Amino acid sequence: MSDATVAPKRQGSSWLILPGIIWMALFMVVPILMICYVSFWTQTTFNISSTPTLASWKQFFSSDTYTGALWTTVRIWLIVLATTFAIGYPTALFVGLFVKSKTLSTVLLVICVIPFWTSFLIRVLAWRPMLGKEGAINIILMKMHIISQPIEVLLFTELSVIIGMSQIYCVFMVGPIAFMLGRIDRNIIEAARDLGAGFGRIFWKIIFPLSLPGVVVGAIFVSVMVLGEFATSGALSGRKVNLLGNIIVTQVGSLKWAMASVTGVILTVVMGMVIAVFLRIVDLKQEL
Amino acid sequence: MTTETAIFRVDGVTKSYGGVKALDSVMLEAGVNEYMSLLGPSGSGKTTLLRVIAGFEVPDSGRVYFQGRDITGVPAHERGIGFVFQNFALFPHLTVRKNVAFGLMYGGGTVSAAETDKRTQAVIDMVGLTGMEDRGVDQISGGQRQRVALARTLVMQPKLVLLDEPLGALDANLRGRMRNELRAIRERMGVTFLHVTGSETEALAMGDSVVVLDRGRIIQAGKPDDVYSAPASPAVAHFLNRFNLFSGKLSHGVFTGPFGTVAAPQVTRAADDVYAIRYDRVRAQPLGSVADGPALQATYIASEYLGSSVMNFFETSDGKVVEVEHHLSLGAPETFEARQDYILTWTPDQAIVFGQESK
Repeated sequence: MSDATVAPKRQGSSWLILPGIIWMALFMVVPILMICYVSFWTQTTFNISSTPTLASWKQFFSSDTYTGALWTTVRIWLIVLATTFAIGYPTALFVGLFVKSKTLSTVLLVICVIPFWTSFLIRVLAWRPMLGKEGAINIILMKMHIISQPIEVLLFTELSVIIGMSQIYCVFMVGPIAFMLGRIDRNIIEAARDLGAGFGRIFWKIIFPLSLPGVVVGAIFVSVMVLGEFATSGALSGRKVNLLGNIIVTQVGSLKWAMASVTGVILTVVMGMVIAVFLRIVDLKQEL
Repeated sequence: MTTETAIFRVDGVTKSYGGVKALDSVMLEAGVNEYMSLLGPSGSGKTTLLRVIAGFEVPDSGRVYFQGRDITGVPAHERGIGFVFQNFALFPHLTVRKNVAFGLMYGGGTVSAAETDKRTQAVIDMVGLTGMEDRGVDQISGGQRQRVALARTLVMQPKLVLLDEPLGALDANLRGRMRNELRAIRERMGVTFLHVTGSETEALAMGDSVVVLDRGRIIQAGKPDDVYSAPASPAVAHFLNRFNLFSGKLSHGVFTGPFGTVAAPQVTRAADDVYAIRYDRVRAQPLGSVADGPALQATYIASEYLGSSVMNFFETSDGKVVEVEHHLSLGAPETFEARQDYILTWTPDQAIVFGQESK
């Protein structure tokens, strides 16, 4: 009897995943296969044909512009990741652990999200009047007589891209870490204190290991978003900083589909490797 | 008991939360190598008292002494007092062995790696966790988790261990076994246990001495059988959960209650006039029979079989439930008819009478 009732039930529930499968197939699997395929097409100045060739791949790895963009992407990603972690972890520690009231910590997290009430592009562009030669920071520093000449390195440089990205993505680091820290049983920390451990030991041996899944989730969020970025670097670098995302935008703009596809494949592979490495650090299945 | 032989002494400790006094000038001390249980209903301040002694809370006023030293301002991690949490509070990312060794490894003391291993293993063996050392703490049972919590504290060789409802998270069967083990382990280690519990049976069974706490005040302290046979106030009698309590009027050595007027030769001084009679001292007689002494007419409702005894529940005309316990060692239980009236009676000198007028 149980066989007869269980079998159709299981079949019934497996239909639930069908819309998801169709969605992912249409908008993820097929496009990725398409990109891989197109990256081997033959590109001429005004035309593209499906004759297979490695020309675009060779061009990518032999050109300083393209490989340079790859390294710039990796460098900016690492710097932004480190910055968001350095700013985000202490913030999360305060919000998730030191604020005792759950209400207050929720309010503080909501405050972190307030910048998102403004659209992404506005948030990026708002950095221009802040960082510019006649921008807010320079004016304030000059009025305070800390500097006599405006600091020009602030805008349209790699620094401005890093500042902009760190500000925009920091909250994605704070959220998951604060969530994990908030789940730590306060008694555990008191137990460690009772066993004679000072705050440093408690942090490194108890708090940090228990927050690691949050760090990994936050790092994956930030990494995926930064690696695929093109708008912040486009708006704040004055076209001096080219990330893989910017290369794709330019190539698509000039209808160089094959080259855009090569860059897209490389970007996807890099992201895949980054996520794989992070998932190696912590077994998220077990921790969450 | 003098300060010299006391392992800890709490001297007039008061602690308030938002204007509500959780502890109200509490005085308490325990001797070396003693098992003291602290009984109180939830909200009586018992956990707060434990946390003040451990150093997790700072008292508003009063001092805490440990081994003759004033430790009121000493932070928790420098006190050397063990604390076993109600939910065990094990380190979830560490194995059994690492949990137990935590204090020795990171506790600020200087214990060599070899010494750490030796002491950790010895304590693990003592609490009966041999073979479980490398398991994660989520891969062991509730009773084993309790043992890890205890071992983690005992490995530090504290002179005083505070246990916050340590058996509360265990099922009834395991609780009985762990009671015996806690006593045995304590005797082997020769340390003082201060065990907080909301269960009167646990408090009476485990403590060499019992302290009863109510609304932030200690209302009785003494040996379990003294507390049990002579509760100091109606509140204590109520917490012990072994007495039928009747309010009434005490005047000139005579108590007038719902059961009539009874002589009260012995009166314990208390703010209210209350008559207390133990569940197992009450007898039920058929309606119409003559009772010499107190007589209370009540309707039989139901009974509950407790293994070694039967608890019968009667309801008086004003809705009060009176419990009558019959020990099965005294013979087969009487059977009562549901919804029938009976006369409840008892021998007056077995009652405890509380009143403002004491003799």
